[in-house]
Amino acid sequence: MDETRRASLAAWLGARAGSVAIRDMALMSGGAIQQNWKLDVTVGGTPQAWVLRTDAPATLSVSRSRAEEFHLLKAAHEAGATVPEPLFLCTDESVVGKPFFIMRRVAGIAAGHRVVKSETLGGGRVALVTALGRELARIHAIRPPRPDLAFLALPDRPPCTRFVAAMRAHLDRGRLPRPMLEWGLRHLERSAAPAGDIVLCHNDFRTGNYMADDTGITGILDWEFAAWGDPHEDLGWLCARCWRFGGPGEVGGVGPRAPFYAAYEAASGRKIDPAKVRWWEIAAAIRWAVVAIDQAERHVSGREPSLELALTGHIVPELELDVMRATLEQPA
Amino acid sequence: MTAWTGTEIPGGPDLLEIARQTLLDTVLPKLDGDARFKALMIANAMAIALRETRLGQDEIAQAMQALAQAAGPDTWAVCHDIRTGRHDPGTAAHQKIGAALLALAQARCRISAPKALEGDRK
Repeated sequence: MDETRRASLAAWLGARAGSVAIRDMALMSGGAIQQNWKLDVTVGGTPQAWVLRTDAPATLSVSRSRAEEFHLLKAAHEAGATVPEPLFLCTDESVVGKPFFIMRRVAGIAAGHRVVKSETLGGGRVALVTALGRELARIHAIRPPRPDLAFLALPDRPPCTRFVAAMRAHLDRGRLPRPMLEWGLRHLERSAAPAGDIVLCHNDFRTGNYMADDTGITGILDWEFAAWGDPHEDLGWLCARCWRFGGPGEVGGVGPRAPFYAAYEAASGRKIDPAKVRWWEIAAAIRWAVVAIDQAERHVSGREPSLELALTGHIVPELELDVMRATLEQPA
Repeated sequence: MTAWTGTEIPGGPDLLEIARQTLLDTVLPKLDGDARFKALMIANAMAIALRETRLGQDEIAQAMQALAQAAGPDTWAVCHDIRTGRHDPGTAAHQKIGAALLALAQARCRISAPKALEGDRK
């Protein structure tokens, strides 16, 4: 960000937070769709650690807008979930060139392969999965109707049915036939549950998307896919084999299911249906495969040559293997 | 004595292998941050290409043939039939198709993600 934009940002922040001086500002790593800027400021002389989150240049964003993400963070924060506290939203593009919001910066480790190897993060494996259960229960306490989240469409059919239809629509646009994914989807269709509770689902609640230090979880990140759905969607996504990063625990590669389920049930007052979690675990492998196919297509089509996108395509076979193993183990 | 094909040795796969080893042994230790991440991706891409060349398509072709025998030769049509329930449990070809698809997924993993096969019987 150039000097002019930094000055206009400082002025905009000053009008909201009192006298704000920007001490340091640097682009943080990661984020192909969004940009995160580390923002060190003083407010009335007191140092504060913030993050400025905005859209990456020249991306066709299909995820939620920054304004919507800000309102989701606010709702989660008010519900008691551990999230970076959202502070200010700016939809005026003249300030830094794109809409942005400011949130507090949280400390900790997020990288999946590091989290699953650690015996101490979050206070140890059982403590960490217990905390994850509690966090998810707090998020799932957010239920419609919510005027502040009016941008989230209410599901027009049961989440299971909606999921199968959405994945098939993706496959129909694909370059190659995907018989293993079709096999998995048909299995899911045969065993789809009717609609149950509708709650706010984070929809990317997995190891890699929360930060933790040795005392506990410090922040649930990446709210851009949140939507109304079935609570088991998030439970299945977190437990799915494809999000365990080679770690030993069935819950996000971190720890065992029993304390996670117990903590979730105690905090939410909702009984978990293990069969529904397994359903959404198969769904998770299919959803990740479909995303990987779409990402690889950006490279294959020649639109966006990229080694990272190209390699993402080679994740698909192991997801297909997860799907085949699971469907052959649990006939439906 | 072997008959000469006209191409020079070492061939493509051997070059890929020694290039990958050189990248990992002598270039990678000098890198950090984003460059290190990129070098690891390059090594991974080379490993996939090597396995595809060395293993060939035999195992995949075999699984594709088993699928064709059980469900028909046009994979798009097979997908449609699976979707519309023609191969649901209790139908004639259900088990054979399930087994062929599992074998196909395993054969694909042998090239793209062999670690996923650890603990799996071949």
